[in-house]
Amino acid sequence: MTTIRRFCCDDLLRFASVNLDHLTETFNMSFYMTYLARWPDYFHSAVNPAGRVMGYIMGKVEGQGESWHGHVTAVSVASEFRRQKLAKKLMNLLEEISDKMDKAYFVDLFVRASNMPAIRMYEKLGYVVYRRVLRYYSGEEDGLDMRKALSQDVEKKSIIPLKRPITPDELEYD
Amino acid sequence: MASKFGLAGGIPERRVRPIWDAVDSRQYKAALKLCTALLAKHPTSPYALALKALILERMGKPDEALSVSLDAKERLYSDNIFHFDDLTLSTLQIVFQRLERCMFGTFHLLLLNTNAFAGTDGCKYGYGLMVLGMIDNVVLWVHFSSGGKKLLPLAEALLKKHISSHSLHEPEALALYISILEQQSKYDAALEVLSGDMGSLLGREEDKLRLQGRLLAQASSYVAASEIYQKVLESCPDDWESFLHYIGCLLEHDVILPKPCTGEHACPSNSVDSGMSKKSSLSEELVESRLTSALSFVQSLQESNSSDCVRGPHIANIEIEKQRCLNGISNDRKLTEALLKYFRRFGHLSCSASDVETYLHMLSGDEINELLAEISGSFDASSVSVNTLGLTITLFKVQELLGMLFTKSTAELQGIAKRLVDTFYRNLPLSNDLDPQENMFGEELLSMASNILVQLYWRTRNLGYLLEAILVLEYGLAIRKYVWQYKINLVHLFSYLGALPLAHKWYLTLDVKNILLESVSHHILPQLLNSPFLQHTADLVKDYLKFMDDHLKESADLTCLAYRHRTYSKVIEFVQFKDRLQRSMQYLTAKSDSVILHLKQKAESLEEVESILENASHGTRLVELSNEDSMKHVTSNEDLETRPWWTPTSTVNFLSEPFDEGSTPSIYRNKMCKHKSKENDDPKLKAAEQKSLVPRLVYLSTHDCAYFLREGEQNNGSCNVTAAGEMKTLLQKYARSIGYSIDDALSIVLGMSSGKKAVKDYGPDIVSWMSFAVFINAWNLCSSEPVISGTDCSSPGSWDIVDELVKICIEGQLTDGNRMLTSPGNNIPLLVQMVTGPISWHLLVIQSCMRGMAPQGKKKKKGGPSERPNTPQLQAIQSSVNRMVDTLRSVQTWLSDQMKPEEQALDMLLLCLQGTSTEGPGLISQTLDESAATVGSEIGGRIAQSLDSWSSAAVIRRIVGAEKETIAEFKKICDSKLKLLMSVSASLSSMLH
Repeated sequence: MTTIRRFCCDDLLRFASVNLDHLTETFNMSFYMTYLARWPDYFHSAVNPAGRVMGYIMGKVEGQGESWHGHVTAVSVASEFRRQKLAKKLMNLLEEISDKMDKAYFVDLFVRASNMPAIRMYEKLGYVVYRRVLRYYSGEEDGLDMRKALSQDVEKKSIIPLKRPITPDELEYD
Repeated sequence: MASKFGLAGGIPERRVRPIWDAVDSRQYKAALKLCTALLAKHPTSPYALALKALILERMGKPDEALSVSLDAKERLYSDNIFHFDDLTLSTLQIVFQRLERCMFGTFHLLLLNTNAFAGTDGCKYGYGLMVLGMIDNVVLWVHFSSGGKKLLPLAEALLKKHISSHSLHEPEALALYISILEQQSKYDAALEVLSGDMGSLLGREEDKLRLQGRLLAQASSYVAASEIYQKVLESCPDDWESFLHYIGCLLEHDVILPKPCTGEHACPSNSVDSGMSKKSSLSEELVESRLTSALSFVQSLQESNSSDCVRGPHIANIEIEKQRCLNGISNDRKLTEALLKYFRRFGHLSCSASDVETYLHMLSGDEINELLAEISGSFDASSVSVNTLGLTITLFKVQELLGMLFTKSTAELQGIAKRLVDTFYRNLPLSNDLDPQENMFGEELLSMASNILVQLYWRTRNLGYLLEAILVLEYGLAIRKYVWQYKINLVHLFSYLGALPLAHKWYLTLDVKNILLESVSHHILPQLLNSPFLQHTADLVKDYLKFMDDHLKESADLTCLAYRHRTYSKVIEFVQFKDRLQRSMQYLTAKSDSVILHLKQKAESLEEVESILENASHGTRLVELSNEDSMKHVTSNEDLETRPWWTPTSTVNFLSEPFDEGSTPSIYRNKMCKHKSKENDDPKLKAAEQKSLVPRLVYLSTHDCAYFLREGEQNNGSCNVTAAGEMKTLLQKYARSIGYSIDDALSIVLGMSSGKKAVKDYGPDIVSWMSFAVFINAWNLCSSEPVISGTDCSSPGSWDIVDELVKICIEGQLTDGNRMLTSPGNNIPLLVQMVTGPISWHLLVIQSCMRGMAPQGKKKKKGGPSERPNTPQLQAIQSSVNRMVDTLRSVQTWLSDQMKPEEQALDMLLLCLQGTSTEGPGLISQTLDESAATVGSEIGGRIAQSLDSWSSAAVIRRIVGAEKETIAEFKKICDSKLKLLMSVSASLSSMLH
């Protein structure tokens, strides 16, 4: 019932029902288009039979050596299509691409420390809180850096939680 | 930007890198210095020149940049072809794109030179690109050059040669190579490439299989294609597109899938692929045997994917039954059964009804009733559980989607609305423990209840229902403030009710920004444009234009980014997307709106208006925007899915039309779909064209008329031929945009102003007619011959026409006995348009004439305007001023009458909610108030807290306040116009006496 395909520019004009959600950020155009230009395999939308955008995921792959990893920049599903594990399908796709195509060591994401529903969902998908990033969101709210190890990271070293929180300027990638 | 050969455009990379670093960090002066040093060493290097051009352009020196880049281009041509390299070309490309000299704006500079590709030069160039490993260039060259399909064999040959020596190393390159083969219908060759070593470039097996399936289907190898699609479905059972291809191949149909990316507004019932809605050409036996095998395959998928998240194979079942019906193999009964089976399993999901909407439309009324009865019998509606709630919602949604509610009586509808609200309340405990940010269970119930109340209002015209439609949504937002669906409906309801400030307030909370400005602002922009809130409107238009302009500027750089990262498919997509946005109807109109809004805001100061017009190239560019070619290809990018059912597009509002009791549900549906699919139809195009003419017409009316009045006398009455000629052309276009030739339009204006033609017959365009009359008067003033028979440039006749038409039109609105507060869809927007549009333009003409005729010492040239006043003109102006004063005063009086004391207005509205206990509005608002009062004891928790301060009366009070604010704002506009007219009147008296 769902067709998951590469996100295309025209989807930007059809994703209002996803992005009008108060927790979904509408980025500027260069942000979306940079992702499309650089990491087209990490930007997918799910559409229903009538062609409506049900949700989408955008991400990238970056890092060096053992920190070569997939990153989930945004994942969002329109309210009508929630509670049917669509976000899980999109996350699994990104994980598969990071793992099999790009041979990344882990996938990570940032989430507002107060966004408990999202944190619970990521935990169910196998993500663990790797570290807390102090005042990551607009210098106000802490972010949680959550990670899931991929098959390259045999010993799961990438997800051993850091003992202390870090500040945004200590982040390796932004 | 580093070259793979260690050389950048033939120059060692270490010398180039610091220049790029300086450019990237915006240190342009330093970059220029370094580049000058580089040029000293490599004076003939096209790359060094290209770099210099790029820096100059960034420094804001476009002319110098252009000259240097043309020099670089010349050198490229004069050099040996093997000096063509990626870096030089792409650097030049950036400069040209930014200079907007590039025909398409985003692709290779040299690709533009189509002559270079037509013959041997083209081959040579293509060969050169290939030798340098620029697969991307080859492909883009084919895609964009005017040679089109003729160049495909050449591109294929070049790529083949490249592959034999270098192979391909990127999935994107492979995909585009296959696309070149596909475009030439060389499916077997493409399949061969895909199954060879290069096929492994496609990282995901499913992607490769999908591509194989597509190629096989196009090659009419349906059996092989269906087997491939089976494989896809085995690993991705929910992949609906692949399933449709699978069935299409089995039935040997050409599958044309719905295209979500085209931006066309499809209606659910129309979006099914046309190929899949036809009878197969195969024999009945063959169809049956293939569908039977499909069914058993789908059943095996269902068994191996028992999770409730995979619905594809279950809906596939329905599709197979649909195909059986279409091919006359089985009856509709099987389809109903398949749907029922689906609802039993997935009916609790929010999207379950809309996902099978297309199939529901195939059922007869009896079958639908049977289906609904079966579903409602399958659960205990009185129990409180997420599943029960989901099924209850689905039951209502099916009825809503099929338009079944239109057939219900008023009492039944009222009962349903009440049940929906009650169900919402009863199920609140389910959401009490949810995070406040999470969607609550049953949110849709309030939207559906509100929709029913709007329908009741439409049918009965009882304002109470409309107020209740608002109250229900406000109640929902009091509990959880994030539900955007409620907010959008409220934006439209408040707009319709005349409480625009409340609509605007909710709109602002939606945080519409960036690309959403293009797809979502239609919810408020059209209403704001007809409102007295000129500043809010100007702010919104300004934000929108800034977003679009910024994006169009940066789009070339973003395309280069895709190009640099060898994401070839996105290069093409970005170019097409830029083109789509550039041709946006909303963008085109907003450019005119922006200038018109400024003119309206400053209409009391001729000097400020002149300065606005000067900055807008005196309106000439806007006129150019609306030429026929650009209007032919406009795009409509609004997301109309999110609009309420009763206003499917910004130009349609069912509530303004009479309710037709005889209409069937399907008639309503078709009507809505028709509106959506015709979003870009004539009226909208014509309105856009008309707007684009206004600034220029205002300019000519104020500039050239004054010029004539000032110079006319000294030239012994010879009129301004050029201005009059241009005005005539523009007015011909203007008349066309209202649907008439200029002669017919003139006679209609005359007829209306003399009372021989009824203004109401021209109702929808009345503001345009008024502006037309104003411009006709201005044209008459500067024309050498009378434009209307019986009037000439010294005759006051054309002034009379304007005065009379304005008076009749305004009076027509004021004599309408309905009060604003109790008569939604009121005439305020129309009155505002009349006052801020045509009356403003007319006052500008008056100001301009006054300035032209005033004996001002400083402006007097040698032999300048006569000291003797042009008495007939002055008298005509004075008469016009007096009549405008009268007209505006009547508006003022009417507005003051509308301003009831707040308590009195509040009582009036609250009275609308006091129906009897069994019928009429009042029941729902009472339910809401009672539930809010009891929620603390029955439910408690945060929901109870959020409803602590709920009161229907408080919402109604806010509506009263917002209407008052609207009237006050409009009064301010009238005040300022009256003030101007009084001062003009005083000057005229002194000039005449």
